[in-house]
Amino acid sequence: MAEGKAEDRQQVTIPVAGMSCAACVNKVEKALKGLTGVEEATVNLAASKAGVSFDPAACSLADMERAIKDVGYEVPWSTVEVLVLGMMGTHCEQNITKAVSALPGVASVRVNLGTDSVSVEYSDALTSAAQIKNTIRALGYQVEDKGQGEDALDRERRLRQREIRRQFVNLLIAWPLGALVMLGTFRDYWVLSDILPAFLAEKLVLWALTTPIVLGPGRQFFVNSLNGLRRGVTDMNLLYATGIGAAYLIAVINTFWPDAGFGGEKATFYEAAALLVAFIVLGRYLEAVTRGRTSEAIRKLMRLQPKRARVLRGDEEMEIPADEVEVGDICLVRPGDSIPVDGIVLDGYSAVDEAMVTGESLPVEKRAGDEVIGGTINKTGAFRFRATRVGKDTALSQIIKLVEEAQTGKAPIQALADKVAGHFILAVHALALAVFLFWFFVGFDLWFSPDSRLMLTPYQLEDLGVFGLALLISVTVLIISCPCAVGLATPSAMMAGTGKGAEYGILFKGPDAVEATAKVQVVVFDKTGTLTKGEPSVTDVAALDGRGEAEVLRLAAIAEKNSEHPLGEAIVRGARQRGLDIATPDSFQAITGQGVQVQSDGQTVLLGNRKLMAERDIPLDSLLPEAERLETEGKTVMFVAAGGQPLGMVAVADTLKETSAQAVKELHRLGSEVVMLTGDNRRTAEAIARQLGIDRVLAEVLPEDKAQEVRELQAEGKVVAMVGDGINDAPALAQADVGMAIGSGTDVAKETGHVILIRDDVLDVIAAIQVGRATMRLVRQNLFWAFGYNTAAIPLGAGILYPFLAQVVSPELAALLMATSSLSVTMNTLRMRGYKPRIKRGSGQRREARS
Amino acid sequence: MRRQQVGRLSAALYVGVSSLAAGVFLAGTTFFGDYAWVARVGGAAWIFLLSMIILMPTVTPWLKKRLAGQQDRSEHG
Repeated sequence: MAEGKAEDRQQVTIPVAGMSCAACVNKVEKALKGLTGVEEATVNLAASKAGVSFDPAACSLADMERAIKDVGYEVPWSTVEVLVLGMMGTHCEQNITKAVSALPGVASVRVNLGTDSVSVEYSDALTSAAQIKNTIRALGYQVEDKGQGEDALDRERRLRQREIRRQFVNLLIAWPLGALVMLGTFRDYWVLSDILPAFLAEKLVLWALTTPIVLGPGRQFFVNSLNGLRRGVTDMNLLYATGIGAAYLIAVINTFWPDAGFGGEKATFYEAAALLVAFIVLGRYLEAVTRGRTSEAIRKLMRLQPKRARVLRGDEEMEIPADEVEVGDICLVRPGDSIPVDGIVLDGYSAVDEAMVTGESLPVEKRAGDEVIGGTINKTGAFRFRATRVGKDTALSQIIKLVEEAQTGKAPIQALADKVAGHFILAVHALALAVFLFWFFVGFDLWFSPDSRLMLTPYQLEDLGVFGLALLISVTVLIISCPCAVGLATPSAMMAGTGKGAEYGILFKGPDAVEATAKVQVVVFDKTGTLTKGEPSVTDVAALDGRGEAEVLRLAAIAEKNSEHPLGEAIVRGARQRGLDIATPDSFQAITGQGVQVQSDGQTVLLGNRKLMAERDIPLDSLLPEAERLETEGKTVMFVAAGGQPLGMVAVADTLKETSAQAVKELHRLGSEVVMLTGDNRRTAEAIARQLGIDRVLAEVLPEDKAQEVRELQAEGKVVAMVGDGINDAPALAQADVGMAIGSGTDVAKETGHVILIRDDVLDVIAAIQVGRATMRLVRQNLFWAFGYNTAAIPLGAGILYPFLAQVVSPELAALLMATSSLSVTMNTLRMRGYKPRIKRGSGQRREARS
Repeated sequence: MRRQQVGRLSAALYVGVSSLAAGVFLAGTTFFGDYAWVARVGGAAWIFLLSMIILMPTVTPWLKKRLAGQQDRSEHG
């Protein structure tokens, strides 16, 4: 493998269609890793995507596509087809091909001079249709939208539907014929002999009915396993092929050579081969139908992407494709319209439904100066806005990319499950060999009884020879051990979990983030801006000698009118909010570390701390008890004096967010320890911690030491989540086991941290933990269904009950059990669709009540 | 060593080992015990098939890794 520099590496997400199990994942990963220039390849079965880190100088997207196709899968690239006017000949064709191929993520370019069209296949993770069109325009051609392109989602859906149709046709062949074979096989039992014609039980008729099933719907397993074996890889198809092939072969031998020692005419397992195919095809069909549903969340997000935009170009209002809106364009939005791109409102007023992007349940008011998010729905009014982020930079595109990347990655538990499943197939074949040898040389002589039967069937196996019994049990082991469900267990749950998080504005950056979030034991909050609003405000005003509180606040505001100190600004803002008239002082003097002194209306006004008042001999005795009480609550108290006399005091504090106390309470309920990290003095910090019920306070911590504090908590052996501002707290967020960047707004790409909470609501931390835990619960349940089934079924298949009951699990019963296992995993995952984090249940009503 | 050569060598290995396993089974059942010819031949075929399935995906990567290791050592040595 080529050793390129890390900076030369490129990351690409390639859609892969046609995978059905963990072995397919291994197969595609192996094929990609085998390419020169590919450093890392991670394939996610549930997302049907491969994340590849590669050196573009050594390997192209076309090489990767070829490698994937070589092992039997398809790559549903996004495509765009445009009408290009002005192409004169082959040199134009070459120019366009060269320029477009040079764009990152372009897999193929086809220029058709006859129809003046250019068709491009590309990875939408690396480039966009707009970029492709702009590149052609930059060469001097006129580009018109043909509107025939299809994105990866459409194509993936089309391929999935093709697969569903294909398996449905297979079902239509396998089940009716299989049912006839079954009826024919058991014609001599119960009342069937009265109803069914005798010829149906003829071995030749059964052979004629079974052969089309094995060679028709069953053919795919033989072809796929052969393709894999040729490239040195094994998959589930191999298990199916050996199982079906062996059952069919025994039946054929017993039909045409009944004395060959395979059990004779009474042991023609045609129905085993036929029903085996029927059950496996049923499993494949149900899997194809249900697997599409687990990726519902990302589909919902993708469907939000608006197709058209109304823009003002010059004085003209025109409708253009949304991906052609440029930064700076003025866009017009009417009631009911989707907002095409991100921007800032210029004029107009409306309420916008942002629920689908941020999780905010109520419409958000928008007026001049407010930000709007592309993909959200305008409800009532009309407005104009200037586009600030377009194409791949919009919040929605960033969120989709983040969720897609998260779904492509692998959680540690998933990587382990895939590895186990990958080796499982070989182990199963080795086990089948051992079981065969055991029953051939030992088991038959010790336990064979002529009364032997196939479980849950009236089949007698008295004519079965040593080879027939050993082979039957060996084949059953192959079929019963098939670990299809293992491959689907973790990725489908992770996909459902990360998608569900995105619905509530919680973006997990990968499955490992989901896994870590579920394990969190300690939640560390940065105080300012996370638990508090991050902006001080006036909380209390006290007045002496009959002066009104308004007058005290007015004088304090006059003193601070020219101040740039946050506390001074809070006082001025507080006075303005109360409608007080704030005159400009005649003179202003700042006294370092003590306060300010101003002249106003011919009197000297002082605003400051005890030290200032003491130096000016202002008696504070009557104010001190109340001041001390306020200070114990974490508030900063400033005294006001005028004409040498104390007038009162103003208390300023950073106020708590409405939901902070509830968040701490809920975290305690979830069993997490809550720690507050702040640069504030200990007294203020402890006062806030008391109000919120926080367990532990780490005060007077410098910003650069926050990561160290997190490290020390981790050293106590705890799984730590750090919740803070994504930019200021970046080192601490990176150090924590789970860094949660809160209130990132819509610029999610800039955020550090493992989990991004779009809204500025601390309750989303609880929602993230609840989604994480629900997802991991789902993973564990799915793994139980998948591995538990195999663990329990293998000994049964290997004939552990035979010495006691003289019964063997039939291959078709094994296939039924296997299909049930896959089905239970997918059905269990689908339960996540209706999941709502506990903290979010009834949140709509709560917000409405508050507003 | 070229990819094709590795492929040929590994094919020779897994076919050889599988044939050996099947041969041992056939000889064992022929000389020791009283088994029908169908059991002997059928069993040998089943053992050959399962051995091939087990060895094909394991021998090729193992051989590739081993030969790559040898090549590295000879280049550095």
